[in-house]
Formats: sequence, C-alpha cells, structure tokens
Amino acid sequence: MQPKPSILLVDDETAITDNLAPFLTRSGFEVAVASNGEEALEKVASGHPDMLVLDVLMPRLDGREVLRRLRQGGNWTPILLLTQIGEAGERAMALEEGADDYLNKPFDPHELVARIKAVLRRARPGQPPLSASNRLACGSLILDRVSHRVLLSEAELTLTPKAVMLLEYMLTHPDELVSRERLLDVVWGWDYPVGTRAVDTRVAELRRALDDDPGAPRYIETIPGQGYRFVGKVETLP
Amino acid sequence: MKTTRWVVCLAPGIVGIGLALYFFLSYDASHDHIVYLRADLGVLSLIVGLGLTALAMLIFGLLDWAEQTRQETIAKAAEERRRFLRRLDHELKNPLTAIRAGLANLTESPSDAARREALASVEAQTLRLSRLSADLRKLAELEVRLVERSPVDVPALLHEAFSMAQEQPGANERHLNLSIPQAPWPLPKIQGDPDLLLLAVHNLMDNALKFTRPGDTLELHAFEDGAEIVIEVADTGPGIPDDEQPHVWEELYRGVGGRGIPGSGLGLALVRAIAERHNGRATLRSRLGQGTVFTLRLPAGLKQSVTEQTQPVPKV
Repeated sequence: MQPKPSILLVDDETAITDNLAPFLTRSGFEVAVASNGEEALEKVASGHPDMLVLDVLMPRLDGREVLRRLRQGGNWTPILLLTQIGEAGERAMALEEGADDYLNKPFDPHELVARIKAVLRRARPGQPPLSASNRLACGSLILDRVSHRVLLSEAELTLTPKAVMLLEYMLTHPDELVSRERLLDVVWGWDYPVGTRAVDTRVAELRRALDDDPGAPRYIETIPGQGYRFVGKVETLP
Repeated sequence: MKTTRWVVCLAPGIVGIGLALYFFLSYDASHDHIVYLRADLGVLSLIVGLGLTALAMLIFGLLDWAEQTRQETIAKAAEERRRFLRRLDHELKNPLTAIRAGLANLTESPSDAARREALASVEAQTLRLSRLSADLRKLAELEVRLVERSPVDVPALLHEAFSMAQEQPGANERHLNLSIPQAPWPLPKIQGDPDLLLLAVHNLMDNALKFTRPGDTLELHAFEDGAEIVIEVADTGPGIPDDEQPHVWEELYRGVGGRGIPGSGLGLALVRAIAERHNGRATLRSRLGQGTVFTLRLPAGLKQSVTEQTQPVPKV
C-alpha cells in the first residue's frame, strides 16, 4: 500500500480547519494544520508535506507571502490557494506566482479533494509546476503568459482576453478533466446562470482560432456531459 | 470656535468704527489743511473695517454651506449603508434560523428519515447563503473588474437570452415575444463584455418571469435610438407602485409584491451596475395593474470611452 499523501492545511479560521481536517483525513490524506503563515513555513521546513492548502487572507504572514517565500527559496511543494478574492487579475497573479491551483471560498469540500488529487497527480517532485513557467508550448502552439500573446506556427492569433485565460488554464492543467463550472470559476470568477454557455462559446472561439477539430482534437477534447480536457503534450519554454 | 469666529468677524468692524470715531473726534478746525485728510482717514478706516467684517462673514458663510452639503452627503451615504446592513441582516436571518432549526432536528430526531430531511434542508440553506455571498462578490467586483470590450452582436445576444428565458419554469404559461428590427438596417454592434450583457438581459427576463402571473405577456425588444441601442423587457404584470420604483435598483431591496418570491435581491442591482460599466443606463416605467417596462440604454458603435479599462488584447 502506498503511503497516504500528507497535506498541510493552513487557515486562521479554526471553524474551517476543525471541519476540513477530518474531512480530508477521511478522504485518505495525512493532515497537519497551521493557523498562520509563520507556522506554515516552520511546518514545511520540519515536516516536508506533499502539498499545502493555503488560505490567502491571514494575519501576520498571508498566504501570498508564504507562497512567494517558498518559491523564492526554491521550494516547489505543490500549493493550492484558497482565495476569497474573485478578481480575475488576482487569480491570474496567484498562478503567475507559482501556485498550482486555487479555489474560491465558499467551496464544496468534495471539490477541494478533487483539486488536491489533480494537483498531486500532476506534480513533478522538486520541479516547478507548469503554472510557474512564463512560456508554454504544445507543438507549434506557444502561449506567452506575460504578454498574453498566443502564437500558432509563429503567427500571432487574435483572441479575446477571456479565451486567452481559458487557454492558459487548459495549458497549465493538461490531461485533466476540467468541468465547465470550474472553467467559469477560473475565467470569470463567478458562477452564473448564463455560465456554461459562455464557456462553450469561448471554447468554440479557441477551436476556430487553433483550427482544432472537435471530432479529432489536437488540443481541446470535449468530454460529453462533464467538461473539457487538454489532450496535447505541454512543455515549458525558457 | 463660535466665539473666535465672531471675534474674527467683528474685530475689523469695531476697530474701523473706533478709528473713525477717533479721527472725527480729534477734529481740530484750526488746522484746516489736515481736516480733510483726517476726515478721509476716518471714512477710510470705517469702510475698510466694515468691509473686512463683511468679507469674513461671507467666507464663514460659504464654509458653513460647504460643510452642510458635505454633512448631508455623509448622512445620505450613512443612511444607505444602514439600509443595506438592515437588508443584509434580514437576508442572513432567515437561512440561519432554518439552519439552527434543522440542526436541532438533526440531533433530536428519533427517525432516520426525519434526520435526512433536516440534513437536506440545512444543506439547501447553506447553498442559499453561498449564492448570496457569490452575488455580493459579483456586485463588488463589477465596480472594479476589467470589462472586456469586444464587438457584441445584439440580435444574437437577445436570441440567446430569449431562448434561455423559454427554458425557465413558468415560461410556457406566459406569452413570450421577441422582436428585433431588420429594417431599415440591422442593429449596429455595441462594444462590451458579451457575458455581462447577456447576464443583464437574462436578469431582466428572469425578473419579469418571476413577477408576472400565468397568462401574462412578456416582450423583449430592441431598437436604435440615435447613438444608443435600446433594449426593453416589457410585461403585462402587476406593475410596481410609484413609491417603490426608485428603490428596485438598490441592493437587497424587496418590494411588497416581491415578498415570498425567491431570489437574492441583487439581480436588478447587477443589471444597473453592468449598464453603468458599459457607459449606459438602466431605467424603468411601470403602471400599477398594467405592467412594467425595463429599459437598457447602451452606447452603440465602436466609440471608446475615456473611463474604460481593457486588458491587453493580443494584436495580429
């Protein structure tokens, strides 16, 4: 039997850690809890958890600063940020600073477990995640995450900002089934009644621009009734 | 404070009068050549003194007026804030009461079936609170978030909102009509965020469906009016009383007719915020017992506004 993955859960709200920790334990994880950023850094240094679930808004040292310090120190332990900030720009920043994924509060605890499992599956021990890289490539498709430019066979594509964000999330989460609700949360930061259609519209826009055939996809595959999956092989570029 | 102000105001006047009196009383007829000068000095000090007094009073008066206006604005904002807090408290109270009752049932109920029911009810109420929190966040974000500016095809947007409305519960009990002009030319595109605009029209349709009765008529139309695209959602519903009309755009406001109708109470506030972020307006006209029309006015064409915020859009 494989050892249980160890999770360090960091949140200053004991109401949240008291309820989430047993839930995560029941879901098959070894759980340790820290109630602020400083304690989190100490426990990472002493306990070497497999992954951190990190709240952003905390007293003393907030989640973002913990993330920054770990990454600057060359520590690439996978991190999932729990954010209350829905702003799309803030979420993009979280990924740019080297978080592996994020989840908006309030969330369904089952969704948290699904995100943790996906991040652990994708993690390459000791190496930066795809989301820490500024340039990603899949064949002749190149995404520059700093300038938000997309190149296909060296020609630049004209895409709406939301289509670029959608592509960015798909590229940083390859080979993962992503639900429409999740994409909505990522790109729009909201759930909305008009939501799932909005996702389909943007995916259609991307497919047109990438000349991707939904019947035989090179990039984005539709999983009927469930969502989308990026099927191409993603590499990091210097 | 008040005393200092009176001293500052009256001092120049009193000094002026005093000096004038001094000059007049020290009048000496034997020195003819300086009489005029002294008399002039008296008049001069009187004018300067009284003038300074008048000026000081005017300045203090203006300061008072500005302060009063400022206080009124603050008081209005404070009143709005209190009203919002009262409504928020009200919105939180009901689901929380239900949750507490549900939890009591959960611990005390003898039967499994009753416990399952209580659990389901608690879950439904927490979802309701989550939706409220999500809507509040949307509203807060709308003020600051980047609003995409891409050309939006209004007819396509209206068709989509219309077909979504047709799928809503209760839609088949009402007469739904969509009219989009083709002549003399199709509607021009507008610059904006297609998802937000769809949300705005959807909320108006959703609202109309909720507040009308079976058998009522609902119409979605659009037309061009000068430099604006006008989108209207009209219904033959019960109408909104005059005194409630200005408030329906406020966050968490519920009119008398709206009690018992589910919803976060933020739908129309979102519509207004979306219209404003697109440099447009949202208004309504309503007659009690006859119906209501909600109007969205959005600038047509490709004109860019000064206040817009855009994300870097990839260039060709």
